[in-house]
Amino acid sequence: MLFTSASRTTGVSRRGLALVHFDWWLLAACLALAIFGVAMIFSATRGVVDPVIQNRWTAQIVFLVIGVVAFFVGALLDYRLLRLAGWPGYCFLLGVLVLVELFGTQQNLAVRWLSVGNTAVQPTEAGKFVLIVVIAWYLSRFYSEEKRLSVLFLALGALVPPLLLVYRQPDLGMVVTMLFIIGAMILISGVTAAHFLILSSLALAVLFLAYGTLQDYMLDRINMFLAPDDNREAAFNVTQALISVGNGGWFGRGWLEGTQSQLFYLRVRHTDFIFSVVAEEFGFVGSCALLLVFGFLLWRLVRTMELAEDAFGRLLVGGVAALILFQMFVNVGMNIRLMPVTGMTLPLVSSGGSSLVSTMFAIGLTQSVNLRRSVRVDVF
Amino acid sequence: MFSSPAAGHPDGSGRYVRIGVRLVLVVLLGLLIVRLYQLQVRRHESFAAQADANRLRTIEIPAPRGLVFDRNGELLARNRPSYQLAIVPEELPDDDLDTEADEEYEAILQILESLGPNLDRNAVLDMQRNLHRSLGWLDYRRILVDNKVPFSVFEIPYREFVDLLIQIGVVDATAVESAPIEEEAAAASMVSLPDLNQPLPIEGLAILIQSLAQTRQQGNSSEPFPILTGLSREAAFTISEQSFRYPGSRILDVSVREYVYGELASHILGFMGPIPSSLAEDYRQRGYSPEERIGLSGVEAEYQEILRGTPGQRTIEADIFGRVGRTIDEVAPQPGQDIILTVDIQLQRVMYKALQEMLTVRDAISGVAIAVDPRSGQLLGMVSLPSFDNNIFSEGLGETYTRIIEDERKPLINYAIGGLYPPGSTFKIVTASAGMAEGVITPRTVIVDEGPIYLPNKFFPDDPSQAQEFVSWNHHQDFNHGPLTLREAIAVSNDIYFYYVGGGYPQTFLGLTQEELAQWARVFGYGSATGIDLPGEISFSVPDDQWKRVNWASSWVQGDSYNMAIGQGYLLATPLQVLQSLVPIANGGMLYEPQVALQITDPSTGRTQEFEPRPIRDVGLDRVILDTIRLGMRDAVNSVEGTATRGRIEGVIVAGKTGTAEFCEYDPVLEDCRRDEEGDLPTHASYLAFAPFNNPEIAVMVFVYDGGEGSTAAVPVGTAILDAWFTIKGQGSLETGTG
Repeated sequence: MLFTSASRTTGVSRRGLALVHFDWWLLAACLALAIFGVAMIFSATRGVVDPVIQNRWTAQIVFLVIGVVAFFVGALLDYRLLRLAGWPGYCFLLGVLVLVELFGTQQNLAVRWLSVGNTAVQPTEAGKFVLIVVIAWYLSRFYSEEKRLSVLFLALGALVPPLLLVYRQPDLGMVVTMLFIIGAMILISGVTAAHFLILSSLALAVLFLAYGTLQDYMLDRINMFLAPDDNREAAFNVTQALISVGNGGWFGRGWLEGTQSQLFYLRVRHTDFIFSVVAEEFGFVGSCALLLVFGFLLWRLVRTMELAEDAFGRLLVGGVAALILFQMFVNVGMNIRLMPVTGMTLPLVSSGGSSLVSTMFAIGLTQSVNLRRSVRVDVF
Repeated sequence: MFSSPAAGHPDGSGRYVRIGVRLVLVVLLGLLIVRLYQLQVRRHESFAAQADANRLRTIEIPAPRGLVFDRNGELLARNRPSYQLAIVPEELPDDDLDTEADEEYEAILQILESLGPNLDRNAVLDMQRNLHRSLGWLDYRRILVDNKVPFSVFEIPYREFVDLLIQIGVVDATAVESAPIEEEAAAASMVSLPDLNQPLPIEGLAILIQSLAQTRQQGNSSEPFPILTGLSREAAFTISEQSFRYPGSRILDVSVREYVYGELASHILGFMGPIPSSLAEDYRQRGYSPEERIGLSGVEAEYQEILRGTPGQRTIEADIFGRVGRTIDEVAPQPGQDIILTVDIQLQRVMYKALQEMLTVRDAISGVAIAVDPRSGQLLGMVSLPSFDNNIFSEGLGETYTRIIEDERKPLINYAIGGLYPPGSTFKIVTASAGMAEGVITPRTVIVDEGPIYLPNKFFPDDPSQAQEFVSWNHHQDFNHGPLTLREAIAVSNDIYFYYVGGGYPQTFLGLTQEELAQWARVFGYGSATGIDLPGEISFSVPDDQWKRVNWASSWVQGDSYNMAIGQGYLLATPLQVLQSLVPIANGGMLYEPQVALQITDPSTGRTQEFEPRPIRDVGLDRVILDTIRLGMRDAVNSVEGTATRGRIEGVIVAGKTGTAEFCEYDPVLEDCRRDEEGDLPTHASYLAFAPFNNPEIAVMVFVYDGGEGSTAAVPVGTAILDAWFTIKGQGSLETGTG
């Protein structure tokens, strides 16, 4: 209460840290999802001969600990400092993508990785978050107040080069993700009805143009989604995922008892198709519970977004929420054949250290927004 | 709650963002949950079934086949373990497309090479026969040609080729016969077939196995298929120990049939083999697995269902790589039931040896010896020569197999039930019965043999030179039998007597009508199968006027009746049929279906089930009539003039009847029947006998194909059999002759 009026009128520097605002529920939801994820990774990798894959669940625990640290680092970091990362962030994004274009290494027909020392780094993973920061900065700085269409077009124009570079890797999933984030943040920043109409017709036009240049494997995946029986070999994973989900029934077959996952009929179980493992072993009740925890987590993020006291903070939280919602929906959607297979993982649950840590950090960052608003008695 | 000024946007767009964002969240989550409900609750059953289909495999556990014993509990057929080399298609390495070599082919080649010295000529022949059968001759040839593997072929005419297909069960005979006659050109053309008697190079075998593995890969690729059967125990263990070096190989441990007495009883016991392709669908519907071996002949075939038992089932869980995990469910197999036969293997051995010796002495092609118990129709022994060792069908189809299949004497046929011959004089007991029953003669009727009799030509009745001559066998030896009663006529096997009885003589003697003779033949079992419980029995219609009109387009004449009366002419019967006709004479009038199975025992419960004798009918003859014939037969053995005096045995009174039946063996060079230097037709020798005279317990039939005189070629065999029977039984009780 003490800082309320000051924060509205005076600058950033006046505001301090209001620990009373820390969202313990949000952290609890994150931890619940990540710990449940470890249990599922254990189940999904059991019996695999490859020792690297077999130890994924212990690695995930380690990353979870790092993730919790990252969460608090994010929360304690003053998000307002990220405003300074606007221009540099954009340049960094562009620069890294150019580097990948020029020096990237190829895996699975796509050039997405940069070799740093001995490890391959996929710059677009971090790129998603950089993008959120850049757009939040741009929209809060130039658009939120005046709503000029030219500003929006300038922003979209500036985003074309990085998106094209990602598209050329090729990584359609990432392009779609980025487009979704951009769209969602523009909407959150508040567009007028006219702008909305213009933008959506533009988006439709681009969609038609882009379809012509899609890579074969992208087309395969999309066509497979539209007509799964045409290509049995390619549809195998999806079909098996569907069988796994359906095999779960009301209450599931029990942890470590899913026949589809334990007998390896389900492929890429610990990453892309981990939701199918959940659905098979915990049934309709279990998978709904998982979705509801996600819903709760997103609900808390939306709340944080709305409580944010400046446009940058609001957009930052909105971007993170959009990213998590999108990844969750696409991943679960592809497990139950609502969405094409994109190779997108389930945030916080799927095996994967960098994804877990960066997601935890991003959510922690939303708490940075939360902690730096004026102290008020909030009604939940 | 969301009214904080900080949350909203100055221009008020915050409200729709606020509602919109929450709406999107709820709609998207709702969408997922609805879809999940649809998949997990509504369609759960279907998906659960698909998941089960993924993971569950059913493995058949074969039931131990029932054992076969003889009437004294002597083991005749048992099971023993055998080892097979099999290929598991799934475990073979895939062909790495980046390398020049075909890894799958190389792996198969290595498996074959691992056999080392076990891969001898016989094994190769065996293997290529199995492959030929699994792939079919068309694919077999195509694969070899496509891969430029050298192989020898033989050419056969199209017609023979079709017959061959029928013979090996690929084509159903009725299907071929009912099919329209092939084009002349096709019928005349030659078909070249892979010669399975010439071993293929090892590379050829590997190519064929690879093709078979690839066709199997589409179905259940984790199921091994055998490529070489009958491995020795040592070889199996050696290969098994090294199997880690040869991925895709597996040693299977299976149970095969062993016949203790081999060729002694092969026609009774039969043998087992793979399901013939023409019957594959039928057996599949009856719950047989395609790899299962079934009885193909003899008792093995007749009692297949009883001996087989019920295979058990093991439901196991397998992962996507086909690795087998837990057993989900298991239904234990029910062992097949044991069968006790009516056969006495000791007697069978004597029969086999005696007949074999006689065939060697007479240089005869084939022969039959059968013994039954006339009180019940139970079969005591049955030998058909040439015989074969039925053990070779249990495993391996090596050179012995070829020798049997290609033997022109066709040893696989059981001539006792599958050979039709003129019965000759052994039929006279039927003619005699008919004559007395129809009142043509009485036991006291005397007919005089004054030499050959002549039937006047129908169109030139007054021209003796056109008359047809009928002789009795004794006329060849230049003596007449003179006046004879029926009993005497039987004892000396006079033909004139039976000509009169069977056909009468114009103006002087009223004989049987052809309908009466044919009808009495049928009463004694001629014209229809005996009904023995063995597969492969054939029979031939009893010839009569109607039969002759249909088959020969001419009417029955008196001469036909004459010929039939002495068991010649158009009349044909199996040796078993002839013996069956003796049974009512021996036992007092009851005709029986011969019977092979005596009892079934369930080895698990010990419950037994008896097979009752199967009487067909009482032939309805007075005691006097039967006694007359019996006495005639006793005299044939025991009187000085009898034709079967070699049939006497120490301590037992034997009654018998010889037969010497002329037959026509078409000679393509002569374009007529084969005849000896004196212009006589060759003859089959046969002998019917029962003993002891007063209370018969055994009746035998001996038949020697092209054996000459019944009295010399057949009687000694019958005597040996009867002698052995009473010696074995140790009860050769002395019977007092009744004169």
